[in-house]
Amino acid sequence: MTKPRVGIFGLTGCAGDQLVILNCEDELLDLAGALDIRDFLMASSDNDTGCALDVALVEGAVLSRRDEERLRKIRDRCELLVALGTCAVWGGVAAMDRDTDRAALLTDIYGVQGALDDTQPARALHEVVRVDLNISGCPVEKEQVLGAVANLLNSDLPAFPDYPVCAECRVRENNCLLIEAGAVCCGPLTVAGCQARCPALRVPCVGCRGPASDANIASALAMFGERGLPREQIVRKLRTFAPANGH
Amino acid sequence: MGSIRVEHLARIEGHGGITVELDGNEIRKVQFDIFEGARLLEGLVRGRSYKDVAQILSRICAICSSSHALTSLKATEAAFGVEVSPQTTLLRDLLSLGESIESHALHLFCLALPDYLGYAGVVALAAEKPETAALGLRLKKLGNLIQETIGGRAVHPVNALPGGFGRAPTLDQLITLRQALRQGVADGAATLHLMASLPPAEFCRSQTVFAALASGSDYSYYQGDQVVVLADGRRETIAAANYRSLTNERTAPYSHAKHSSYNGRPFMVGALARLAARREVLNGQAGEALDRLGLRLPSDNPMDNNKAQAVELAGDVERALALVERLLREGLDQERCVPVVPRAGTGTAVTEAPRGLLFHSYIYDDEGRVLWADVVTPTALNAASIEEHFQAAVRQTAGAEPAALAKKLEMIARAYDPCVSCSVHLIRSSDAA
Repeated sequence: MTKPRVGIFGLTGCAGDQLVILNCEDELLDLAGALDIRDFLMASSDNDTGCALDVALVEGAVLSRRDEERLRKIRDRCELLVALGTCAVWGGVAAMDRDTDRAALLTDIYGVQGALDDTQPARALHEVVRVDLNISGCPVEKEQVLGAVANLLNSDLPAFPDYPVCAECRVRENNCLLIEAGAVCCGPLTVAGCQARCPALRVPCVGCRGPASDANIASALAMFGERGLPREQIVRKLRTFAPANGH
Repeated sequence: MGSIRVEHLARIEGHGGITVELDGNEIRKVQFDIFEGARLLEGLVRGRSYKDVAQILSRICAICSSSHALTSLKATEAAFGVEVSPQTTLLRDLLSLGESIESHALHLFCLALPDYLGYAGVVALAAEKPETAALGLRLKKLGNLIQETIGGRAVHPVNALPGGFGRAPTLDQLITLRQALRQGVADGAATLHLMASLPPAEFCRSQTVFAALASGSDYSYYQGDQVVVLADGRRETIAAANYRSLTNERTAPYSHAKHSSYNGRPFMVGALARLAARREVLNGQAGEALDRLGLRLPSDNPMDNNKAQAVELAGDVERALALVERLLREGLDQERCVPVVPRAGTGTAVTEAPRGLLFHSYIYDDEGRVLWADVVTPTALNAASIEEHFQAAVRQTAGAEPAALAKKLEMIARAYDPCVSCSVHLIRSSDAA
């Protein structure tokens, strides 16, 4: 079997999902052996920037014309485009409020003369090009990335959970922060796959993996309301990692 | 000699490039280009509860996410007058050491070392020098083990909260850490040995101003609120609350970026600055390593930042081991966070991220909602210094082929370990709040 040609790319973001790949310290060299990694600018200075790719892993959100052009070029050269991480899948933290006047915000933060000409409200990859597979998480979970690579090497498409973090939290037998501690925990609305990392530490879920398709939103909103959180704050909290008009 | 353009700098974090325009021997323009999209996180965090701020602003950068989270918590706690427990302070110190170990190992072995040894990256390096690559990956993994154990996740820690930690590590976890750190001490020594064997990088000498967080006897990256500036043999101190006197920006005629300067001069932050400012507290194999590496402080060669990172890396492993042993000796309390009661006011904090000084400053309303937030990152502070060192290298390698010079400029940029995602502030013109 020929090795799949792979490119790993970052648009605007924190580079955390590429870092998770580099954080596979025990698997990195096997990964590099099983794949033909042609283009990975963060890790190598010898890249083929034009070749056709079987798989492109793209992290970050689209925040500039430059990002958009790069993404379209990547789409044109790959068979399978994988959105890697919450920014790529949902828009991420930069997309938490896309309604605010961006020009005013720019002037406020960078000053009048410092305003950038190439800047746009954050968009997820699917809002710009076709995406074939989503791996969410802020950052992605190492096991899900490695599992997805193993699936792809066997010509399977990986299946990820669509149920909420609560399911994994119950399996770990954590005390429920929402019901027992009265905390505003986003577990019921957030897609599983992290093994309830935060609630296991007594820390309420902040929703960094993005929404679960199989979630009871009305009931969760009602519970948050009972915790005394104003509706406007609830909405802002839920949009932190994924804008409401996402998927 | 013509112009030099590096479109997209490889083996750094984020999107940056280099532009040099020459007119004969005259330097017309030297620029460290930033192509990072503007996420405006400081604007987006306005109106958010103090409980959400560290989680959101850690996303400025993955490699320094623990530093961003800790600096954010420190600033919020300063605004509200919250005193955390001594155990929390120790665990935060340990978390920042874990980040430093991971970050320095990543930078030295995966990003910088390939230049010295003539490889495209760590995978190519591993094909011919598997033991060297394995050494770096072991240290990197050790740093991540600390961050996972204390922070709850290697990237974007979840366990560090206003007032303390969600859950303290268990004794079993600390014993596992101690075992890994004991093995790591030898890897720290091997790293120093490796760095001492590298070919010299002598193509940029320039008298440099340094700035670093003043430290007590423990070389902490997290504790402290006084910044030391070293210039021309003088040593001045600035309180974190007055950080704007360091981040005053000026326009440079050869660059589009607005530059941080101290008394009109660019300054360098990071490992080399820290060693220069804290030399008297270096101990263990880190202290002995200075001679072996031929590192004279303060150094006028920015490439020495790589050696300085190696010295810190070896020292960090020893410091982390000492901290874990102390925690095991004194015992861990499964304490809860101290109460955090919001009040209106300003909080400013400084820490040492792996790449250098990091400031977070917030204004809160009386319900603990952010009215205003400001983040100044090490790469933003270093931008002017990077360009000054580019200029020095261009002058000192007059007559070199453009391709050879470009490679040297890339190495200088890389030696600063730039984190372009972090450089949210590079193109800012006014600091008027």
